[in-house]
Amino acid sequence: MIRLDNVTKVYGTDSVAVRDVSFDIAKGDFVFLVGPSGSGKSTLLRLMNRQERPERGDVWIAGRNINELGDSRVPYLRRGMGNVFQDYKLLSNKTVFENVAFALEVIGKPRHVIRQQVPAVLELVGLEDKHDRLPDQLSGGEQQRVSIARAFVNRPLILLADEPTGNLDPATGEGIMQLLDSINRSGTTVVMASHDHRIVNMMRKRVIQLDRGVLVRDQERGVYE
Amino acid sequence: MWSRIAYAFRETWASFRRNLTLTAAAVVTSAISLLLVGTTFLIQRGFDNLLVRWKGDVQMIVFVASDAAPEQIAYIENTIKSQPAVIDLEKLKYLDKAASFEEAKVIFTGDPTLLSLLTPETIPTQFKVVPLTGDAALVRSLAEQYRGLPKVEGVSLAEDEFQIISTLSGFVRTVTIVMSVVLLGVAVALIWNTIRTAMFARRREIEVMKLVGATNWFIRVPFMLEGLLQGLIGGVASCGGLWALNRAWTSGVAGFKPGTGISALVVPGSYVNGVMVMLLIIGALAGAIGSGIAASRFLDV
Repeated sequence: MIRLDNVTKVYGTDSVAVRDVSFDIAKGDFVFLVGPSGSGKSTLLRLMNRQERPERGDVWIAGRNINELGDSRVPYLRRGMGNVFQDYKLLSNKTVFENVAFALEVIGKPRHVIRQQVPAVLELVGLEDKHDRLPDQLSGGEQQRVSIARAFVNRPLILLADEPTGNLDPATGEGIMQLLDSINRSGTTVVMASHDHRIVNMMRKRVIQLDRGVLVRDQERGVYE
Repeated sequence: MWSRIAYAFRETWASFRRNLTLTAAAVVTSAISLLLVGTTFLIQRGFDNLLVRWKGDVQMIVFVASDAAPEQIAYIENTIKSQPAVIDLEKLKYLDKAASFEEAKVIFTGDPTLLSLLTPETIPTQFKVVPLTGDAALVRSLAEQYRGLPKVEGVSLAEDEFQIISTLSGFVRTVTIVMSVVLLGVAVALIWNTIRTAMFARRREIEVMKLVGATNWFIRVPFMLEGLLQGLIGGVASCGGLWALNRAWTSGVAGFKPGTGISALVVPGSYVNGVMVMLLIIGALAGAIGSGIAASRFLDV
């Protein structure tokens, strides 16, 4: 589903974010990208959704080299991916329902599809009763659930999560992980960047560890070292 | 498709209301600059009317009485043609009664009283003379000679009435064109800035849109529509201003004493309508260009 071949990303002239990284992620996998801040986790996620392009190497998504993708095709690549962020990136002037519907609206889905899919995904994340609340009226965990609902409403093949539990207390973080796990069980490939030892150790999923941009460990059912 | 169109219009309207102050500034500036552009066209047309009889290097007009017999007209023509070294015979033109009447209609647009007195039967015909020499004294002496011919009602010299107007026209044209171009540039820049501000205010929304797979055009269109609408509203306002201005000018000129020559500066309504359509198009284009540049330039927010 996702393959990186000798990928190197340099910011500016000499700030190497990722150096010569290669790995394969199969369809339906759940993978943690771990490492300290600045190790290149977020850069890898940004390379996967074409927010960044590598200086060297190739990024393959669903059999296509996305570096060769024309700019006008990038939106269509992203429609097959969901993105979840540490800071949720919710629109504060829109309700829960509108935030989730927004993801469908901007890709031109008709109203009847929106009316059908949004309540279903809100039920999946456990927020069906709070569809008319504004983000400010929700807890951090609830806001992250809205963000996951927005990322998943289009049933993407891949879900990229950048520190989704970073702003949450341990109990709430666990709830979010259960949600991501259930999404993964429905067939969506999940790649999650995290430096939360507890969460990684609890999940016992594949772990790819980075250190100063270099891949130092790739382990099935791994833990945070 | 319908949902995309509805989205674009909804967002355009919302953004319009959100940035009301900046929007108003952009609209007023484009209205003023477009009004100046329109005024330039009208002034230019007025001067063209005034100078229409001197088109094509004509330096002298010999007016022939309307009751002149064909042989008398031929005599005048032969007299003019008898000096091929001084007169450009190829450019010598005779305007019969019908052609002279058509020309008079342009010159006296703003003087309906005088125009009503003229008929194709009573109007003097004219010889338009282009001299080969630049010697003003020689041209003047020729004019004196033609004035003495039978059935010649009068001779007008460009030197007397054309050159001052021509210089004035050139000056007014340069000043108004420069001012309109500068102001149009300011209007485009203001619309550009309004759209840039609107995009900055919605940077988070744009970021989310890009991440969930909205195309750049889908994101751009509401902003471009907003700019286009600003330019268009400015255009409509300038049309209103131009209409009022032209109306005031026309009625003002009608109050002048007949025969002052100012009536030629009145522009016919059909021409004003054409200019107004053009202002709407320029306004919409200026808006679309300003916002289009901003929407492309600042999409990576």
